Amino acid sequence: MGEEEAMYKKIFAIVKREFLTRAKTKGFIIGTLIFPLMLFLIFGGFFLVSKLFQPSTKTFYVVDETDLIFNGFVELLPDTLKNGMPKFRFIEQTITAESMEATIDEFQERVLNKEIDGYIIIPEDVVEAREVRYSARNVGDFEEQGEIRRAISRIVTNIRLERKGISADEIRREFNMGNVRLVSRQITDEGEIEKSGVSSYILTYILTYVLFLMMMIYGAMLMRSVIEEKSQRITEGIVSTVKPVELMMGKIVGISALGLTQLAVFGGIMVIVVRFAEPLFRKLGVSAGEVLQVIRQVQFPLPVFLFMLLFFLMGFIFYSALYAALGAMVNSEDEAQQMQFPLIFLFLFGYFMMLTVARNPDTARAFWISLIPPFTPLVMFTRVAVSTPIIPSGTYLSILTMLAAIVLMIMVTAKIYRVGILMYGKKATIKEAIKWLRYK
Amino acid sequence: MKVLEVRDIQKTFGDFTAVDNLAFSIDEGVIFGLLGPNGAGKTTTIRMIMNIIIPDSGSVAILGHTDPRKANDFIGYLPEERGIYRKMKITELLYFMAELKRMPKREAKESADYWLERVDLIDWKKKKVEELSKGMQQKLQFVTTLLHKPRLLILDEPFGGLDPINQNLIKDILLDLKKDGTTIIFSTHVMESAEKLCEEIFLINEGKQVLYGKLSEIKKGFGRMNIHMVYEGSDDFLKTSDQIQKYNNYGNYVEVQLVKDADTQRLLKSAVQSVKIQKFEIMEPSLHDIFIESVQDVHGGGRGHV
Repeated sequence: MGEEEAMYKKIFAIVKREFLTRAKTKGFIIGTLIFPLMLFLIFGGFFLVSKLFQPSTKTFYVVDETDLIFNGFVELLPDTLKNGMPKFRFIEQTITAESMEATIDEFQERVLNKEIDGYIIIPEDVVEAREVRYSARNVGDFEEQGEIRRAISRIVTNIRLERKGISADEIRREFNMGNVRLVSRQITDEGEIEKSGVSSYILTYILTYVLFLMMMIYGAMLMRSVIEEKSQRITEGIVSTVKPVELMMGKIVGISALGLTQLAVFGGIMVIVVRFAEPLFRKLGVSAGEVLQVIRQVQFPLPVFLFMLLFFLMGFIFYSALYAALGAMVNSEDEAQQMQFPLIFLFLFGYFMMLTVARNPDTARAFWISLIPPFTPLVMFTRVAVSTPIIPSGTYLSILTMLAAIVLMIMVTAKIYRVGILMYGKKATIKEAIKWLRYK
Repeated sequence: MKVLEVRDIQKTFGDFTAVDNLAFSIDEGVIFGLLGPNGAGKTTTIRMIMNIIIPDSGSVAILGHTDPRKANDFIGYLPEERGIYRKMKITELLYFMAELKRMPKREAKESADYWLERVDLIDWKKKKVEELSKGMQQKLQFVTTLLHKPRLLILDEPFGGLDPINQNLIKDILLDLKKDGTTIIFSTHVMESAEKLCEEIFLINEGKQVLYGKLSEIKKGFGRMNIHMVYEGSDDFLKTSDQIQKYNNYGNYVEVQLVKDADTQRLLKSAVQSVKIQKFEIMEPSLHDIFIESVQDVHGGGRGHV
């Protein structure tokens, strides 16, 4: 048997061990199945919460000193809540100049007794002065105030236009007629296609977030595995049989295979949910239209999914080589915690880069950022996902630079790893690690 | 054919020379003692043999292969720093270690059962490593080095941390292995156990060779004998005797180291005149004495009466 073949067999034994000992743990199995479930629970939770905590009808007293506005105003706000109740109830009140203060005191008392939610006073000179008094127990709801403001404004506008002899309806009609619709089409190799931008953003954010989490979680898992071998003094027995770099590669491959497995299970569960959730919901008599709308928009175009796997793998290998070196430099997880910051910073920086690039995937800046190896996995994947089905410029170049960076990274970290795993006792500094690079 | 040939290996770490030009070779079926005080360079030497550390100069040939990878599957190695994967089941661990030595699974199973039986761990077969006591874990790690039927077994302080019963168990296994032709390198700073097992020794100190050869010849060449005495009376006659290099009174008995070519009969005569002798035994020098003397020689002093 050739030495090459022997080497691969040994690396495979390590890959298998790293994969199986983790895949067989209850934690992994439960985590893999529960995570997507939790995602759906969170979605469902939002949905339920928004159902359960619907606002109730709000009652306002309205004093219309002009006598011109109230009727039109009420007509403009006929909104009903989801449970069929009206959103607002307006009760007209009148005030005389003499009883002004007493009446307002009474209003205030009623507000505080929760009989009404507030009162609105439309002064006589509203058309000229354009000010309305709105007093309520809670003035934090800008949306609600906006609705009321717009309704009154509209009537005041009508009155002002009519005074000038202009037909408000006609003008409004003309304004509406002047609106044009943008029919957006994306230019691709197969010609132009219609596409909504929203769904690809949702998809991208979810996927990059998963990618980001997986790289961090699995990188840390690899680091812990290195620290375990080091602190339990297991390493020497293993590296007497395989080369340290082979042990490192075995660990990286084994743990990334685990990550891919988990990713595949997540993907599978997603597909099943998208396929079967709707009939299931219907059978149960739940109208889950809104939830499903979101889910249905989150489709997995195959190329995006493949790119995701590719960038996950590359990012994972890149970062796990770094994590392996870090693990080899320390003696315990506590020590690792302190030294992990630069790495986490790198991760977060990449994530924020990704957020800015998602909006403008085709700028020169986005192009260059996606070529910087630590950021390539997240940023380039984002550009691919957002631009789908177009492959953005620099995609293949970034894959090449990333591969080169991975090779370089493994060569460098393997040296640190080789020396570090047999150094017991004290934590290495970055300076020492650099010195290790020169060891024979 | 030599099982192991170490040719002038040298290793420095920065300014520190850990191993200084060592050379030795081992024949098949020999138990070879690699001895020396703590920090003498034993572990570094072993790590170079195992290709964990690459020598600055010199080379190592195992079973005729200078490419360490070619011989790797025929070596079993128990490092001084012990440790095995604690989260694995015992059988899983053993199959994994066997797989690293490219032993087929079926053979690994047989071998694992045989050795677990032999070290009295067979009832724990299905348990996780972390459920074992420390001593049991040590025996288990010892088994991992034997599983693939190595032709060369390298053991760095194999008895450390074991109780006398288990030490005996391991010793018996080693002697059986030797009978089957396994070559064993036994590295230790505990001379008593080396003396019981080793036929040849290589003693190093501060990275340099101090003694090398067959244990029996080294003892003969040491040219000095020891006497064990038990008597009633005062030590005074020992202080005045010109036959004595030094002596140690342990309370229950006295160990006397004679000067070179001493006349034991004259010592006995003077003893009979001054104390009541219960025991007077002429002994070969112990490896312990040889060790201490040789190592102190290197330091350039330290002889004399105690």
